[in-house]
Amino acid sequence: MLFEYAIIGGILLGIFYALLAVGLNVVYGAQKIINLAHGDIIMLGGYGAWELYYTYHISPILSTIIVIPITVVLGYGLNRLIAPRLLKSADPEMLSLILFFGLSEVIEALASLVFGNAARALPVNSIPTSRLVLFGQGYSATWWVSASVILPLLGIFLVFLNRTSIGLQVRAVISDAVEAAVAGINAKRISGIYFGIGFALAACAGVWGVFIYGGVSPTEGPAITVTAFAIIVFGSLGNTVGTIVAGVIFGIFYQLAQVYIPSWSNLVPYVLVIATMLVRPQGLFGRRQRIA
Amino acid sequence: MLEVSRLTSGYGSMQVLWDINLHVKENEIQIVLGANGSGKSTFLKVVMGLLPQWSGELKMNGADITPLTVADRVRGGLGYMSEQGIFPSLSVEENLKLGSLRTQNKSVADQIDHVYQRFPELKERRRATAGGLSGGQRKLVGIGRALIAEPKVLLMDEPSSGLSPRYVSEVIDRLAELRGGITLVIAEQNISFLTIADTVTVIEGGLTRFTGHIDDFTEDESLKEAFFGIAGH
Repeated sequence: MLFEYAIIGGILLGIFYALLAVGLNVVYGAQKIINLAHGDIIMLGGYGAWELYYTYHISPILSTIIVIPITVVLGYGLNRLIAPRLLKSADPEMLSLILFFGLSEVIEALASLVFGNAARALPVNSIPTSRLVLFGQGYSATWWVSASVILPLLGIFLVFLNRTSIGLQVRAVISDAVEAAVAGINAKRISGIYFGIGFALAACAGVWGVFIYGGVSPTEGPAITVTAFAIIVFGSLGNTVGTIVAGVIFGIFYQLAQVYIPSWSNLVPYVLVIATMLVRPQGLFGRRQRIA
Repeated sequence: MLEVSRLTSGYGSMQVLWDINLHVKENEIQIVLGANGSGKSTFLKVVMGLLPQWSGELKMNGADITPLTVADRVRGGLGYMSEQGIFPSLSVEENLKLGSLRTQNKSVADQIDHVYQRFPELKERRRATAGGLSGGQRKLVGIGRALIAEPKVLLMDEPSSGLSPRYVSEVIDRLAELRGGITLVIAEQNISFLTIADTVTVIEGGLTRFTGHIDDFTEDESLKEAFFGIAGH
């Protein structure tokens, strides 16, 4: 029974981890940079949900939608600010790492000043509270409600990416920015939009992170970034579907570890990155291109 | 159609093009011939706006296009097919759709059907990832995408790159079929492409060594020796 509990619980939890990581993957796709402030954007999403609930009595389910346009605009603006400087740099990857590390520190310090160092939580009754019962086992409302909100969100994102003209242009820019420019695509605008979408997905994950992690605190960002990074490496950098599947697999691994070896469960992200690098460096969904 | 005079350019502070001159008439096929590192690919990138033009004149239909961005040049009717020519992670059909972003006079489906009529093998593999096609098929996807955009002048950077001789012949045959409907400027080191050339420009060490009609090129003994490895007589 414990095994079934770990698998089903892991899938429900894994859907949250998929959203947690997909935003980082999107920002990587948009600009070929690792956003070290990713966990801090998730943290801000959590504080956003907290403020919306306690100030305006807005349900976290609705907050998930409200944070999207705000963070798309913020991400787009940030991209237009930094992208030209990165492109002019002799070493854009290193500059971006330093820049986003700095941004992470600034966000953490500002969050401490504004919200204080103590963790803040949302009441459990701010979302439906009934437990999900499957095969005789009960699963936390947090897990199934978050999965029920996140799954359609990821579905809409995949439809946007694979079935719309802008989504096709996004994938073209990710594939080859120069080739996209000569195809008449405004690569800067498209990258900016996609970068903003990455921030929005992170903020949405932040709303549900308040429940999954039991609260939100200013210092949680770096650990979340590590988890998200482990998942996108496992699923193949830049591969959206790979990230989503890897998120679910990560959730299952994590839950199995929680059930059978709980004191070791926090090592799961690190073990996953090392194992991926040793066994399949291109990740689960990494493709090999035909040479001739 | 396309006029280039005394064009110079380079990468950073390193000058690569010293004095490039050429003139391409409407519906003409011009081969820009040169060895590896001669500067022919750099030249095409400068014409497309992907690299800065240091000095010289660059005109299309008599209008100076030097100040235009890449997007403006595309809108103005300039097309470019890189050595890769495709988006490897996208399907054949998605690659072709991207060619239609700037065209509004036909439906996307009609334009893609037109490419499939021209290159039937692509229709069979329309759902396949372009990066997984054979070298020759990848070039056809690149050519098809470029043609859907309906450019007035299409710049092609080494369409023979990475192809076996059989595929090179196939690509040449397909390009020959386009004669009369489009102006082509093809940067190549493979002399097989001279069979479809109306005019030739030879670039050596970033300088224009020859520019003129294909007949004048083949009658030039020194060029013949340099490129065909044979002297006249």
